[in-house]
Amino acid sequence: MTEPVLSIRKLTKRFGGLVAVDDVSWDVYPGEVVALLGDNGAGKSTLIKCVSGVYQPDEGEICFEGRLSHFARPMDARRQGIETIYQDLALANNLDVSANIFLGREAKKRYLAGLIRTLDEQMMLRESRAALESLAIQFPSLTQPIESLSGGQRQAVAIARAVYWDARLMIMDEPTNNLGVPEQHKVLELIRKLRDQGVPVILITHTLPDVFAVSDRLMVMRRGHKVTEKRTTETHTEELVQYMVGALDDTRVQ
Amino acid sequence: MARVEMKAVAEMAPAAQTLTPPKRFVLALSRSWAWAFLALMIVFFVVTVPIVSFGAVNFLTVRNSQNILVAITPILLLGLGQTFVIIAAGIDLSVGWVMSLASVLSALAIRAVFNAGLPLFPSVVVGFLAAVAGAGVVGFVNGVIIAKLKVPAFIVTLGSSFIVRGVALLMSENTTVIGLPPGIRAYGNDALVYFIRGEAGGLHFLAAPEVSGELLRRMDRILPYPVVLTAIIVAIAIFVLRKTQFGRHTYAIGGNVEAAIRTGIPVDRHIISLYILSSATAGIAGFLSTLRFTAGSAVIGDALLLSSIAAVIIGGVSLFGGAGSVMGTVIGALIIAVLTTGLVMLNVEAFWQFIVVGVVVIVAVLIDQSRDLIIGRATRGPPT
Amino acid sequence: MSKRQLCLALITVLALAAAPQAAAAQHKVKIGFLPGVVDPFYQVMQIGVEAAATDLGVEVVTQIPQTWGVEAQTPILDAMVARGDLDYIVTAPTDKDQMIGPLKAAVDAGIKVITVDTFLGDGDYVNGPVTFPISYIGSDNVEGGRISARGLAKAIDGKGIVYINSTNPNVSSVEGREQGFKEVMEKEFPDIKVLGPDYNLDDQNKATQQTAAVLEREPDLAGVFGTNVFSAQGAGTAVVNAGLGGHVQVVAYDATQLAIELMNNGVVSLVLAQKPFDMGYMAVQFAAADAAGVTSLPRRVETGFAIIDKDNVKDPAIARFIYQVPAK
Repeated sequence: MTEPVLSIRKLTKRFGGLVAVDDVSWDVYPGEVVALLGDNGAGKSTLIKCVSGVYQPDEGEICFEGRLSHFARPMDARRQGIETIYQDLALANNLDVSANIFLGREAKKRYLAGLIRTLDEQMMLRESRAALESLAIQFPSLTQPIESLSGGQRQAVAIARAVYWDARLMIMDEPTNNLGVPEQHKVLELIRKLRDQGVPVILITHTLPDVFAVSDRLMVMRRGHKVTEKRTTETHTEELVQYMVGALDDTRVQ
Repeated sequence: MARVEMKAVAEMAPAAQTLTPPKRFVLALSRSWAWAFLALMIVFFVVTVPIVSFGAVNFLTVRNSQNILVAITPILLLGLGQTFVIIAAGIDLSVGWVMSLASVLSALAIRAVFNAGLPLFPSVVVGFLAAVAGAGVVGFVNGVIIAKLKVPAFIVTLGSSFIVRGVALLMSENTTVIGLPPGIRAYGNDALVYFIRGEAGGLHFLAAPEVSGELLRRMDRILPYPVVLTAIIVAIAIFVLRKTQFGRHTYAIGGNVEAAIRTGIPVDRHIISLYILSSATAGIAGFLSTLRFTAGSAVIGDALLLSSIAAVIIGGVSLFGGAGSVMGTVIGALIIAVLTTGLVMLNVEAFWQFIVVGVVVIVAVLIDQSRDLIIGRATRGPPT
Repeated sequence: MSKRQLCLALITVLALAAAPQAAAAQHKVKIGFLPGVVDPFYQVMQIGVEAAATDLGVEVVTQIPQTWGVEAQTPILDAMVARGDLDYIVTAPTDKDQMIGPLKAAVDAGIKVITVDTFLGDGDYVNGPVTFPISYIGSDNVEGGRISARGLAKAIDGKGIVYINSTNPNVSSVEGREQGFKEVMEKEFPDIKVLGPDYNLDDQNKATQQTAAVLEREPDLAGVFGTNVFSAQGAGTAVVNAGLGGHVQVVAYDATQLAIELMNNGVVSLVLAQKPFDMGYMAVQFAAADAAGVTSLPRRVETGFAIIDKDNVKDPAIARFIYQVPAK
């Protein structure tokens, strides 16, 4: 069996008296899409924020690409290649596609021995186009501000940005929320493409059809615990709902 | 943000592609109306000023154009840093008082070092450094409190403006610092080029020709030093905002500060730099006024804050951040200055100027909003 | 000082000389001095007040508001009244109507009031609406405007176009100056045409811009009246930059050191001096005389003006009217 990309061992995170994540262990392997399911307050967001460096776990450890990792800040996780796409996408709506793909990491041209540095717009435009094409995303113009794009197109920009910056694990929080049906399909298509390129994806979602449409495996959390972990092909909607509401719990059976 | 997101979902397709011709027209108008308004205003004065004076006076003269350019320098310098700050969704209410403080500081510095035996030009340089450094300290403190302690910019800069005012009055003792070397007047008022109209005239560079009487009346000063210095600073500001990472980050912070933080932009440091920049340009304005009036004044900039913000808004900078340009602010300042000079030349009651400026400010915001309504916020962003 | 005023001062001093025994028997007279705002004019007045206090052996407590206005002045006044040890308050009311109440309260608390520079009501404490202050000692802004007009008219040989640049509309002091200036030009100098005022709103750059525009419009402009030093400084800069320094006469109201420096540098040509030292000195004299039982004090005293120009500025008799504030 291949080594997991991400390996979470006995992770616990408390907020005061509340145990948000309780002794969860979980592996994510290269080239798979795993869905993370659970009702509101089940602890999925907290778990993910521990992985992406927003929170620091109280107990347990996180290994990324075989190395024990401590992320003090989100930037630490990103530098390692863990990209998280939240629902608000972290796009500057007033800037264009290429500016957003390079946001915070702008390419520069140097003059006078680096004394004067200007933005290398051409290079950023070229690279952005290539990044989008590699995901088969087509835009009429890359110099349009983000606010003139549709929700699906914005998702595409956020995904393309993560891929361009060499994401080795992609975490997506409810990527199809607020999208129309055709746009949802496009986003799911993008997730499949990511997998085909070998990038593992963790998909946090409430939308069960999405889970069945793209994921290879899934994990369900309830009240901070991992209640089950299955291959997607080995389960069905009704069963998942029962796990989510607590009618089924693999940990109890054991 | 959420509202915008929903709207975009409803539309699905990029809004800009579905514009009807009338909407395209509104869009074009909204982008260039300030230019058009300025042009119309100049045409108006070019036509009316000779009528009112029975043909004796023209509006579009070399001297008048230079007067207007000199008049916009303080408004423009205050508005310049403000443009950056407002694009990043902040505001700096302290600039007017910082200008006053810088005027006092530069006057005290020039007087001290000149009296200590330093030659005139180095003394003026010391005055410049004192003004910019003193102002910069205020901007640094503003920026740190805003960025690190997360106090709203409005409150921080309002508070600091009182402090700055008090310090300026204390340091100046009598509100004016006098006893400066009279020679500094040249730096604040002399010009690059002198032109004497008429047969005996011609161009003279750098030094004013020794003339008197009637010839003196026919001599125009073209590109006075404060205008030259301000123009250089404006050019740098345009370059920085449009062509550099600093400018890009300024727009990004104004557009979505969360995104800026998450993409690793050093937001706190950037915000501190912006307030230092804003104070520094106000400091230069204070320095120039000290040279211009050969005295430091603790109240020189008090009245200028609102004019400078008006110029910024007329120029199309959104108070919500994320949009605007330096050229817009230049146009805004020009509109205000052309109005003042034009109305005085028409001998119109001075109060009309305020009414017109007020109307123009509101119209500027209305046009900005109608643009958003018509095309769903599809057009704002840095000039491309 | 006019002859009449000299006589008055003399009477006062004589009365004082006769009274020390009586005063000493009671207690040392204590005067509160509350001017309008921190500025050279009132600082010089303070020097006058303190000089008189030393000369006449009375005690003075000074409080100066940092900003001009009723809101700043009233709390300080109330605090002075609350001290309970003051016999007189010498003050420049920051509003002729709004300060009536607070100052009446001081009188009701047993403190006598003398107003300097500015007055209450219409300034007529005999027949006017307000009669409780002992006296008003100051110089009339309208009169100052008249004297400025005569000074300027003389400098331009009684003909030509003159222009007023002022700070703000509806401020009684500069309004009075404009009024007096226009009145004299209209009545006494039919060959002089008055333009303006334009209001610079305390923005010197605007004063410069406005004056430059007027110079464009009226190339034959002969003179400018700046209703305060600031306006004159801004206007004078435009004049000098147009190459007309010395050709266009600029009058500045108030003889601050800045105004004198501007005159020496050729930015302004005439400076109108009020006499704040005399106002302060005389107010303390009046208080001391009143304490000594003098009942015939005049209810209104005008301290007059001096016009300073390049020729007389070295004359000690004139130079003493420059508002000299010793450096701290």
